[in-house]
Amino acid sequence: MTDPAVAVRGLTKIFPVPLHRQSVVAVRDLDLRIESGEVYGLLGPNGSGKSTTLKIILGLVSPTRGHTEIFGRDSSLVESREAVGFLPENPYFYKYLTGEETLRFFGRLCGLGGVQLKNRIDELLELVGLTRARKRRLGTYSKGMLQRIGLAQALIHEPKLVVLDEPTAGVDPAGSREIRDLIVDLKRRGITVLLSSHLLAQAQEMCDRVGILADGVLVREGRLEELIAIENQTELVLADASPQLVEEIESLINRSNAKLIERRKSTTTLERLFLDATTERPKS
Amino acid sequence: MSSETGAVARHRAFSFSRIYAITINTLTELTRLKVFYFLLIFALLLIGSSIFMAQLTFQQEFQILKDVSLGAMSIFTSLLAIVATARLIPQDIEDRTIYTILAKPVPRFEYLLGKIAGVLLLLATVRQMSKAPREQVDDALRALRSSALNVDIFPGIVIIYLKACLLAALTLFVSTFATTNIFTIVVMAFIYFIGHLQATAREYWLQGHSSGWITHAFLAVVALIFPDLQAFNLVDDIVVGAAISLGLFAKTALLGIFYTTIYTLLAAFVFYGKEL
Repeated sequence: MTDPAVAVRGLTKIFPVPLHRQSVVAVRDLDLRIESGEVYGLLGPNGSGKSTTLKIILGLVSPTRGHTEIFGRDSSLVESREAVGFLPENPYFYKYLTGEETLRFFGRLCGLGGVQLKNRIDELLELVGLTRARKRRLGTYSKGMLQRIGLAQALIHEPKLVVLDEPTAGVDPAGSREIRDLIVDLKRRGITVLLSSHLLAQAQEMCDRVGILADGVLVREGRLEELIAIENQTELVLADASPQLVEEIESLINRSNAKLIERRKSTTTLERLFLDATTERPKS
Repeated sequence: MSSETGAVARHRAFSFSRIYAITINTLTELTRLKVFYFLLIFALLLIGSSIFMAQLTFQQEFQILKDVSLGAMSIFTSLLAIVATARLIPQDIEDRTIYTILAKPVPRFEYLLGKIAGVLLLLATVRQMSKAPREQVDDALRALRSSALNVDIFPGIVIIYLKACLLAALTLFVSTFATTNIFTIVVMAFIYFIGHLQATAREYWLQGHSSGWITHAFLAVVALIFPDLQAFNLVDDIVVGAAISLGLFAKTALLGIFYTTIYTLLAAFVFYGKEL
């Protein structure tokens, strides 16, 4: 049996509050198992323990109790980070470096150099669509561009696991869509993705499985379609149906034991409307 | 992008190339600071002002030249060591760049070594730069008297550099448990003044002159914890024309290296367990 990408067992993190007797329990008895190649979403409101859990998995914070592993290696060991790329929430990076210099810096930290690093930088800048901005300083980058260069640095050493903390936070819908496409592309390449988010619609589009944290406790976990399915309801979406056909269907329903709960016109999403409107507009 | 994963070279427990990458990045970061240029211009003006002393005799001129230039160099490098180092870790935490760095296969002590090495490299660069105007003046004086003037000054410059290194390492140590760079700078200002009185405290402690165990304990704490910064004020001797003996120079240099190493190790120890 192969090791899971991430294994968390009995994880508890308690932060003492200075000058106070009580302490804050950020995460309580958390068990997680993320299989290789899947996109796992750790969901929850602000302060639910998502970022703390990610930091413990990355060895940035030590657990009060419990154990975390990355591909079978204790995640508190530096070596385990060979397999991980991380994009923190709202990263700033060094403003005085260009996109290319940023990737070179992080590549060198991962032991890359020479032609291998140069080729890798070219490849990643192309992947995240920043080839033309490679010589620009990060101080001039937009929020979406910063997220994309952040994703590129997370991928510089070709990790098997990518951890993303609120990857689309603060990014406009178009930028957000690009990041989601990149994450879907990572999954296609067999890279495991662990992301935290409180933007549920986006998580729904990307994740195979999700876990919902509330006050540091995992309150739901499972495959997305199983979690959100309503067992006793069925949706039919019709195109070009005549009013007579719809009436016939309704009368058929009325003659049976089933109940029609809702009849409405299909709508697009506000995001789709926004993207269509902003991308169709002729550029001045 | 290749679909294969794991382009990273096999992890090494210690890597000079990782430290070098952090060192160069830290140096670049520090040279972009506005405060750096402000301090540099101030120091250069102070050192350069020694040129305008035409009405003095040569002996007076040379005396003041040494006094002002070495004094300015000492204050400037000390100030720069503290201000530059104090912001490094809190800034990286605030910008979350520390997460991206330490989430890579980079041990924490390498991160700290890279940071301190960047500061020491900056101080060495600044020392070279602030030497330039003084050397120009030296050249002018040398032309006047055609005598070797600054052989005795070099040990003083080395000691000034080592004192700045010590202060940088101590600032790094304080910043590992401080939450803001202002806190670190304030603490370092206190340590700087206490450090210059450490020799007196040590003397009183060792000779048992103090009355009462509280005073004795306080003097012991000062003598054992704080560095003896007064030991690095050999510049005063140089200014009055006294040559520093090789033994004293070596002893002071070793003391500087010892303090710098100890404080860097302490910083690494505290930083190792720090929750980020």
